[in-house]
Amino acid sequence: MTSNLDTRAASAGDRRRTRAYLAEFVPGIVAYVLLLSAALLWGGFDGTSPTRFAWALLPVLPMIWIAIAVLRHLHRLDEYQRTRTLTGLGAGFAVAMLASIALGILQSAGFELEGSGFWIYGIGMATWGVSAAVAGRR
Amino acid sequence: MRNDLRRRREERSWTQAHLADLLDVSRQTVNALETGRYDPSLPLAFRIAALFEAPIEAIFEPDGADVDARR
Repeated sequence: MTSNLDTRAASAGDRRRTRAYLAEFVPGIVAYVLLLSAALLWGGFDGTSPTRFAWALLPVLPMIWIAIAVLRHLHRLDEYQRTRTLTGLGAGFAVAMLASIALGILQSAGFELEGSGFWIYGIGMATWGVSAAVAGRR
Repeated sequence: MRNDLRRRREERSWTQAHLADLLDVSRQTVNALETGRYDPSLPLAFRIAALFEAPIEAIFEPDGADVDARR
């Protein structure tokens, strides 16, 4: 049974934690998009210069920032949210590892997949999202 | 584990969000506690008991599965 006291509105603490997370996460994503665009535009990926590898790794720097933002957010979460988030992260990690092994073996057998690293990343992130949502519904 | 958090909260005319702020947890956590989807840690159970000025065992009681696990 629900009442008018059962609104789904976020608490002040929820809003404060979300603001703190976004304040750290959003600059990381913006920097990632900017550096990725710069790398694709000026990195010379089709060339032979060794500097193209430095350009290729440039967008990884803001990803480190983002990873730290996620870890800091984990510390801000309460025990229930942290359990849910870590369950999702664990599932995402396990599936990403499985996908990595499967693709590695397939590539050894001659299978070719363009941008396999991005596929593994996407599979892991998608699993994280889905399993966190499922954990929250239980 | 069963609990009567919802009744105690509604007696005080508190929203879930307000109770969440008083306990320093998220509103989702309060909802999960009230619906029995999540059993709190001992520190959180003590915070809840202190807030409602009642012993933990007056707010939380074991259900069948908890009793079976103790045997």
